[in-house]
Amino acid sequence: MSFKRWTVARRCTQLAVVLLLASPLAGTTLFAGSLAAADIAGLPLVDPLAAVQAVLASRVHPAALLLPAAGVALSYLLAGGRTFCAWICPVYLMGEAGDRLRRFLGGGEKTFPLVAKQWLLLFVLVCTVVTGLPLFETVSPIGLTSRAIAYGSYGGAACLAGLLAIEVLLARRVWCRSLCPLGGFYSLLGRLSPVGVAFAPARCNDCGECSRVCPVEEVLEPVLARSAERVVSGECTRCGSCIDICPHGALGLGKVR
Amino acid sequence: MGKDGQNGGPGCTRRQFLKGGASLPLGLVMAGGLVSIPYLRRTGGGEFMLRPPGALEEKRFLGACLKCGKCARVCPYGSIRLAGPEAGVAIGTPVIIPRKEPCYLCPDLPCVTACPSGALDRGVQEVEKVRMGTAVIVDRANCLSLRGLRCEVCYRNCPLMDKAITIEPRHNERTGTHTIMEPVVHHDKCVGCGICEKTCVRERPVIVVQKSPPRQDDHYEF
Amino acid sequence: MALSRRDFLKASAAAAALAAATGGRLGVDDAEAAEGGLKWGKAPCRFCGTGCGVLVGVKDGKIVATKGDPAAPVNKGLNCIKGYFLSKVLSGKDRLTKPLIRKGNRMVEASWDEAMSLIASKFKESIAKHGPDSVAIFGSGQWTVFEGYAAAKLFKGGIGTNNIEPNARFCMASAVTGFMSTFNSDEPMGCYDDLDLGDTYFLWGANMAECHPVLFSRLIDNRLKNQKVKIIDFGTRHTRTSQMADMYIRFNPQTDLALLNGIAHIIVRDKLYDESFIRKHVVFKKGKTNIGYGLEDKFKFADDPKPMSFDEYREFLAPYTPEYVSRLSGVPVNTIEEVARLYADKKRKVNSLWTMGFNQHVRGTWVNNLVYNVHLLTGKICKPGENPMSLTGQPSACGTAREVGTFTHRLPADMVVTNEEHRKKAAEIWGVPVEKIPAKPTYHATEMFRALDRGDIKVLWVQVTNPFQSAPNLSRYRKGARKGGGRFIIVSDIYPTRSTELADVILPSASWVEKEGFFGNAERRGQQWFKMVDPPGEARNDLWQTIELAKRLGYGNLFPYRYVEKEIFEEYRKFTVGGKDLAPYEAYTRARGLRWPYVNGKETLWRYAEGYDPYVKAGEGVKFYKNKPTDGRAVIWARPYEPAAEVPDKQYPFWLCTGRVLEQWHTGTMTGRVPELKRAYGTAVCEMHPDDAKRLGIKQGGKVKLTSRRGSIVLTADLRGRGKAERGNVFVAFFDENKLINELCIDAYCPISGEPDYKKCAVKVEKA
Ligand code: SF4
Ligand code: SF4
Ligand code: SF4
Ligand code: SF4
Repeated sequence: MSFKRWTVARRCTQLAVVLLLASPLAGTTLFAGSLAAADIAGLPLVDPLAAVQAVLASRVHPAALLLPAAGVALSYLLAGGRTFCAWICPVYLMGEAGDRLRRFLGGGEKTFPLVAKQWLLLFVLVCTVVTGLPLFETVSPIGLTSRAIAYGSYGGAACLAGLLAIEVLLARRVWCRSLCPLGGFYSLLGRLSPVGVAFAPARCNDCGECSRVCPVEEVLEPVLARSAERVVSGECTRCGSCIDICPHGALGLGKVR
Repeated sequence: MGKDGQNGGPGCTRRQFLKGGASLPLGLVMAGGLVSIPYLRRTGGGEFMLRPPGALEEKRFLGACLKCGKCARVCPYGSIRLAGPEAGVAIGTPVIIPRKEPCYLCPDLPCVTACPSGALDRGVQEVEKVRMGTAVIVDRANCLSLRGLRCEVCYRNCPLMDKAITIEPRHNERTGTHTIMEPVVHHDKCVGCGICEKTCVRERPVIVVQKSPPRQDDHYEF
Repeated sequence: MALSRRDFLKASAAAAALAAATGGRLGVDDAEAAEGGLKWGKAPCRFCGTGCGVLVGVKDGKIVATKGDPAAPVNKGLNCIKGYFLSKVLSGKDRLTKPLIRKGNRMVEASWDEAMSLIASKFKESIAKHGPDSVAIFGSGQWTVFEGYAAAKLFKGGIGTNNIEPNARFCMASAVTGFMSTFNSDEPMGCYDDLDLGDTYFLWGANMAECHPVLFSRLIDNRLKNQKVKIIDFGTRHTRTSQMADMYIRFNPQTDLALLNGIAHIIVRDKLYDESFIRKHVVFKKGKTNIGYGLEDKFKFADDPKPMSFDEYREFLAPYTPEYVSRLSGVPVNTIEEVARLYADKKRKVNSLWTMGFNQHVRGTWVNNLVYNVHLLTGKICKPGENPMSLTGQPSACGTAREVGTFTHRLPADMVVTNEEHRKKAAEIWGVPVEKIPAKPTYHATEMFRALDRGDIKVLWVQVTNPFQSAPNLSRYRKGARKGGGRFIIVSDIYPTRSTELADVILPSASWVEKEGFFGNAERRGQQWFKMVDPPGEARNDLWQTIELAKRLGYGNLFPYRYVEKEIFEEYRKFTVGGKDLAPYEAYTRARGLRWPYVNGKETLWRYAEGYDPYVKAGEGVKFYKNKPTDGRAVIWARPYEPAAEVPDKQYPFWLCTGRVLEQWHTGTMTGRVPELKRAYGTAVCEMHPDDAKRLGIKQGGKVKLTSRRGSIVLTADLRGRGKAERGNVFVAFFDENKLINELCIDAYCPISGEPDYKKCAVKVEKA
C-alpha cells in the first residue's frame, strides 16, 4: 500500500492549522486567537479544558465561554476525542517530527504508561482549584507553541526545545503519550466516541506493522489479541497510520460504538 | 457502549502502570507542583501589570484569562502585548505597556468583546467605566508644568481631558506674573489608559499608571 | 565671523553682569554651568511671536542645552514645550549640509560655487529675457531682520522688482492693513504689560492657550490675582482657551463682522461711547463694499475711502440690531447686550486680543478695523492695561516682515513703494537711483504663486519657509511649481521639506544661533543674538546667500559691509529714525529686548500715549500722530458684514477650519524633528462634533474623508480631543507634512490685505 491516504489528509490538516494560526501575521482576519480560544470566520471556539480551568480558577462562567467550549467538546466527542491530538495539535506534529529524528539517531525507546495523563489531568484540576490559577495553561507547550505561531512570541521556546530533546534522546513521545493533560482530557471523550478504528481479524496475518507505527501501540493490543473487533480505547488518536500501513487492509475507519 | 469490558482500558491496569516505573517521574512532577503552589499564589499580587479594559481584579483575571491573545489580535493599535516568560505565571496574558503603546479606548472596546473567557468583563461597555489603573504624577519635581512651563501634554492628550485630568492654575511665586498650570488626576474618573504616560515629554515618564488604590467606602457624598 | 564671536563672549559677560544687577539668578546659573564648561548666550525662542528669551548652553562648539532666560521680561525663565526642546530642533539627523542641484529626478550634491553660479545665471537669463518681474523671492517672518533687509534691498533697490513677499502675508497681513487703515502706522499701541494690568479680555479667533502659551500663562495669572478679571473667548471652536475662559461665546464662522457691528450698535444706541474721546481723536470713514474674494488670477482692488459723520455712522450701524446679529451669528441677544456693556463699562479696563481667526479672513482688514472701532468708540485704547492687540505667530513677523517691510508694496518702516517721497528716502539710504525702485507693487503671496503657475514668474527663491505645504489651494501651486517651461525654484532650508522636494536647487541654511540674528516679537520688542555655534557641514546663513547672489548679479556694491549684521542694522535703523526708532545695535546686544520707539535711551510701552510715547506732547493725552492725513486722528470704519467666499451647501455641508497645536509649530519642519513632540502630537487628526460623527457613522479613532472642491484627504477622527468642534464644523491642524490639509483650503483672500482665509471653506465629510 503506497498511498497513505490518512497520513496525507492528516498532514494537510496539521499544516492548515499551522497556517491558520499564523495567518493573522499576514494581516488576514479569517482567524484570531490561539488553540486555547479563537474565532474562525467569526465562529467562536474555546478549548473545553481551558474553559474548565478558567471556571474553576476564577469562578466566572460567562455564556461566551461555556457555549463554544461545549460545542468544541461535543464535536470532538463525535469525531473521536484525541482526533484533536493527531489532526490539530502542533505539539503532536512536533512530536512526530521528533520521533523521526529519534529513530534516525537511534534515541531511547523508553515509554511510560498512557494513563499518567489522566492522573496529571486530575492533578491539574485540583491545583487549579487550590491556586486559583489555570495551572496547565501557564506551562502548556500547546499554549507556548500556538502563541509562538500565532503571535511570534517565542518566550517559551526553551521549554519546547527541552521537551523535544527528552523525546528524541530518552523517552519516545513522552509528552503526547503520558504527560499531556489535554490529551488525557480528550482520551476521556474518546472513550465515548462513536468513531474509531475497526478491525477485520480475518484479514490480519499478524505482521505487526500497525503496532510499529502507532504512537500509542497499547491500544491495538486487544484487537491483535483477537479479544476485540474495534479499537475502543480513548487513547487512540485516530491518526490512521495503522490503516495506512496495514498491507492486508485489516484496519479501517468505522463506527466503534 | 463499553459492554465489551474494554472501555477505558488504556492498555494497562493501574498496577501495571505503577509497576511500569511511572511512579517516579509522576511523583516528581506532582511533588514539584505542590511545592510551587504557594509561590504561584503569590505571583498574582506581584508587580503591577496594566491589563486591557474590563479586566477582572488581577487574581481572578489570572484565573480566567485563557491566554488566547484574541484581545491582542483585535486591538487596532497593537497596544496589547502577550507577557513573556519573565512574567512567571502570567506568561501569555495580555499586558499594555503605555510607553510603547497605551490603550486608546476604542469606543466599542473590541478587546473586551473579543475576550472569550470573561477575563475582560463584558459588563464594561462604556470607556468611561473602564478602570485599568490610575495615573499618578510620581515625580513632581520633574514635571515641567509644575515648574511653570507650558507643557500639560498629558492633559491635552487625556481622552477624558477635563474629567480625569484637569488643570489647576495657581500663581507662580517665582516670576510673579505667570501661572503654574498643574495637571491634577482625578482618581474617580481616570480609566488608566496610559496615554498620559506615553505622551509625557520627559525621558522617564513623570506621570505613570499604577494599580488603582482599593475603594474605601464611607458615607460622605462628596 | 570672528568679530561677532568675540562679541558673543563679551555679551555673555555683559548678560551675567545685567543678571547680577537684576537679582543675580543668571550669575548663579553661570557659576554652575562653568563647572560643566558650558557657556550661556541669550537668544529669543525660534518659534512663536511671543518672543520668549532663552539661554543657549554651548560646549565644545555644540548646543548642549537651552533654558528659559530668567532675566527675559516676557517669560522670566519659562517656556512652552516647544521652547523647552529648542536644543533639539537644529540637530535632526536629516539636516541639509550640502547644496543640491536637480539632475532629472535626483538631487545631486554640488559646491556652493556651482550652486550660486547656476542660480545667478538663471536670474540673469530670466531678467534678460522676461524682465526683472520674472524673478521673485518668497521669505518669511522667521527671516532675521538682516536677512529680510538684505533681500528687500537687493530685489527692490538692486534688481528693481517688487517681487518680494514674506509668508507673513499668509498670517499677519490683515493686521497690518488694519493698523494702517485705522492708525496709518503698523503695529500695536499696547504691549504684554496689558496682560498683567487689564481686567477684561476679549479673545477673538485666538487660541492663546496653545498658540501663545507663555502669554496665556500671564493672562491667567492676572485673573488669579484679581477677582475682577474676566476672559471672554469668542470662537467657532471650543479650545483649551475656551475651557479656561470665563465665558465662551460660539458664533457662526464669518459673523464676527456682524457681532462687532452689533456691539458698536448697542454702544451707540445706548450712548455708552466716550464722546470727548471721539471728538478729539476719531474720524469716520467708509470704503467700498461688496469687494470680492480674489479668487480670480490678477484680481485687483483699491479701496476708495470716503469721510462720513458720526450720524452717518450711526445710520450704518442701525441694521445691526442685537436681534439681527443674533440671527446671523447664533449668539443669543442677551449675550450680545452683555458683551457690549462689558466693552463699554467705564470701570473696566478692556482689551481685545486676536490672531488668525481675524487675520486669515476674507474680510480680515475689516474685522481688524471693526475691533478698533469698539475701542475707539469707548476710548479704551492707548492706556496701560487697556488696548486692542494683535498677537503674531512667527518670531519676527513684526520685526522683519512688517517693520523691514518685506512685502511687495512696502519699504522699511511703514513706507510704501507707491509713495514717491518714500521711494526717494529709500533710494537715498540704499544709495541707488530712485528710478530703480518700481512704484507699482506686483504680486502678493497668493498672486505670486499664481504668477509662478501661469509662468509670469520664472525664478523663485524661497527662504526660511515652506510655502508648498502652507499655501492655500495647495495642489494648484504645487503643480504649478513643477510645470517646467523655464521655471526655476530655489529653496533654502535646514531640513528636507515639502518645498525642497519641488526645488531645482536646495541650499543648506544656517538657523537660529548658528548665525547672528535679530527678531521682533508681537509687542514691538526687538531681540538680538550672536552666533554661538557653526552650522553643520557646508550650511550657510541665508544672509550670506542673498549677498552672494547680489555679488554675482553685480550688486555687490549694495552690501559693502565688514561686520555685516551690525552694519545692516545700523543702515536699516536710519529708516526708523523719527517714528519707529530702533535702538543702536549695541543696546540690543546687552538688553533682553527693547520695545520701539526707543528714544533717549528709553523704550516705549504704550504708543500714542502721553507720558509713554516720546512723540506725544504734554497735554495731548492721546495722539495718533502717525495719521497725518487725518490730523492725528484714528479712523472708525463703516465695514459691513459680508459672507465668506465659500459657504457650506448641500454638497459640501461642513465648515473646515485649520490651525495650530501647542506641540507643533507651523509646518512642523523643526518641531517634527523632536521625538518628544512627535510623541505628544504626531499626526494631524480631524476634530469633529460627536453628533455629526454619529450621524455619519464615524467613530472615535475611525477614518474620515474630507473633500472640498479643491482636494480631499483621509484623517483619523477625533471626537474628544483638545479642541471641540462645533456642530457642522471640522478642524485640522496644518503642521503635518504627510497630511496636506491646505490642499483643501480655498485661496480666497481679503482684497485689502491679500491674506487668504484658511479658516473657512466648505467640505464634505464621509466615513472612510
Ligand atoms: S480599547 Fe482599543 S486600544 Fe484599548 S486595548 Fe482595547 S482594543 Fe486596544
Ligand atoms: S491614564 Fe492618563 S490619559 Fe488615561 S484617563 Fe487616566 S489620566 Fe487620562
Ligand atoms: S506631560 Fe509630563 S512633564 Fe508635561 S505636564 Fe504632564 S506630567 Fe508634567
Ligand atoms: S514657542 Fe512661543 S511661547 Fe513657546 S517658548 Fe517659544 S516664544 Fe515662548
